[in-house]
Amino acid sequence: MEPIETQIANEVATQDSQPDTSASSSSPAAPAREERRKHPRRTWETPPAPVPAPLLDDYRSIVGAADIDELRFLARELKGKTVKMVNSTAVGGGVAEMLNQLVPLFNEVEVKTNWEVITGGNDFFEVTKAFHNALQGSDYTLTQHARDIFLMHNEQNRQRIQFSEDVIVIHDPQPAALIRDCQPSSRRWIWRCHIDLSSPNPEVWGFLRPFIEQYDAAIFSSPSFSRQLAIPQYLFYPCIDPLSEKNKDLDDSYVQQVCDEFGIDRSRPIVTQVSRFDRAKDPVGVVQAFKQARKYVDCQLVLAGGGASDDPEGSAVLKEVKEAAGEDPDIIILDLPPWCALEINALQRASTLIVQKSIREGFGLTVTEALWKGKPTIAGAVGGIPNQIIHKLTGALVHSVEGCAYQMRYLLTHPDFAKQLGKNGREHVKENFLMTTNLRRWLLLIRILLANGGK
Amino acid sequence: MTSAIATTPNRTPAKPFYFNTSAHLMRITRQKANTLGEFLEALHECPDGSIFQHSFRTLQEHHFIREGFSNDFAHWTLSACNEPSLAESLASVDVREFTSITELRERFIQIVENFLQRSSAAGTRFAKETFYFCASDTVVIPTSFVARTLQEFAAGLRGVSVHSVHHHFIEARLRLKLMSNDFSQWLYEDMGLTEVARQLNRLDIYTVTLDDVREQIIRIVERALI
Repeated sequence: MEPIETQIANEVATQDSQPDTSASSSSPAAPAREERRKHPRRTWETPPAPVPAPLLDDYRSIVGAADIDELRFLARELKGKTVKMVNSTAVGGGVAEMLNQLVPLFNEVEVKTNWEVITGGNDFFEVTKAFHNALQGSDYTLTQHARDIFLMHNEQNRQRIQFSEDVIVIHDPQPAALIRDCQPSSRRWIWRCHIDLSSPNPEVWGFLRPFIEQYDAAIFSSPSFSRQLAIPQYLFYPCIDPLSEKNKDLDDSYVQQVCDEFGIDRSRPIVTQVSRFDRAKDPVGVVQAFKQARKYVDCQLVLAGGGASDDPEGSAVLKEVKEAAGEDPDIIILDLPPWCALEINALQRASTLIVQKSIREGFGLTVTEALWKGKPTIAGAVGGIPNQIIHKLTGALVHSVEGCAYQMRYLLTHPDFAKQLGKNGREHVKENFLMTTNLRRWLLLIRILLANGGK
Repeated sequence: MTSAIATTPNRTPAKPFYFNTSAHLMRITRQKANTLGEFLEALHECPDGSIFQHSFRTLQEHHFIREGFSNDFAHWTLSACNEPSLAESLASVDVREFTSITELRERFIQIVENFLQRSSAAGTRFAKETFYFCASDTVVIPTSFVARTLQEFAAGLRGVSVHSVHHHFIEARLRLKLMSNDFSQWLYEDMGLTEVARQLNRLDIYTVTLDDVREQIIRIVERALI
């Protein structure tokens, strides 16, 4: 039998599974599951309507009344202050997603905040994409032409946008030169860097650095992502929104419905990795680890991701994963479109264990999502993951396929320990990686900068 | 000294107890360490806010863990340097025995120096992960809870966040410069409840969560209400 793949983004069903003859799908519901895998209901083919941003009090039941009251006290001294957020895109991507939630919360606590998106032609965004990759370590030769395009578009935006607020926050490298030739004033400028600058291309970093050092402060997502700078640098971990479609509580009936749709058997342990089909996420390694672990303990593997339909490399990785899975009916491969947040949420909640066996990683927000759902989580010790997983306390860190397989076996056979890891992991997220903590950090930084006069 | 517990509920304090809390922002400093030798050097050079962050603050950040996490230094020396005896020595440092960051820094330095004298080769061995020294920038903010009676004090303890409990019960000694905490000080000085104050000061904060500590404090205070 072919490995199970549900290619939802594509209108044409690609499954060509043969009748199940394996011994492992042994429950009475197995034939129905197989049918579902072949013909999923496809309720998620079109993107859902946008959900309104939550209010601060909506978080009260999640983080506690005291934490919400503290945020309001913290904001009280900033009442009437104004903030402008500037980034390069209004939709798509983590920064826009985060600003969509953060800006309304700022305004709710009476720190008047507006959000500007810079404009630019294809030439500008080609240069900034190259800069983005180069700053994260890719080879790149910086030409004078690229510098000119970058500076020209930054200058055009600088002329277009009014900078009259008390605090200006510039997100990422694309608009970094907006600060150019800025006259000294009481206005504070913050550069929020969302990318990993640990090994930047020296030419591109050398070009940008003089702009960055004109800011009053810089923010990084991990100490290891930062650079030695002449300005104060702060640590803001990325965060998740516990009220978003991806993370909100779900009725178990919905979780069951999603599992039924994808042919997942909830009566047996489920090990899940959620991530796009990318070699950095090592999905083939996950399949190998699963096959090793299953020699000792019964379980299913769900690999839920995306990126295979619109990315040639993603398609190639998906093919490799299917080859590695072979004809194993317990490996369920789901190539989902990007708007399947509710389905991903349900899959995570249905899981017994969650794996994120990355070999390269940014911060690893899928780990945060898993921990928030109280799931025992096994993850590669790379990027920002060790900030989230403290080995044997909030999850398990692994460095190899064998290590991953061992942790799967151990956690599946020691449910009390696994449960404690999941509980600790959720508390760790509650303390450090939620939207409310992010708001707290922003309010604190603005208070500190406005009080201290910045640099 | 013993307190007249029977009359406690109606006792009026000399001044009310104002529950505050502290909010901390992590600043990334210039110091980092890839070996224990570099770690020792950085312990000498890092700002006071770093010693505070990696000891007092980390206890707060991991307040939900009962075992195995007392400070970042101990955690790094075990997980990244694989030096369990050094990690045990560093983990045994109880921040409540210190009323100044200077003393606490000296204690950490002394432990690492002693270890490196015994195991000098360990000083240049590369750790699996870099230790980045961060520092805590702190803003104290009020809460809506004020206690004018012991009942209100117990209610405040229930209502505030664990950050407020940490602020008054653990961080306080750096402010007070006393081997005590804000709760015990108020109970002793303003309520005359010496024994209750002593009992609070004896609570072990390393083997339970901060929520457990809060519950224990409430239980002790409520016993005084009977």
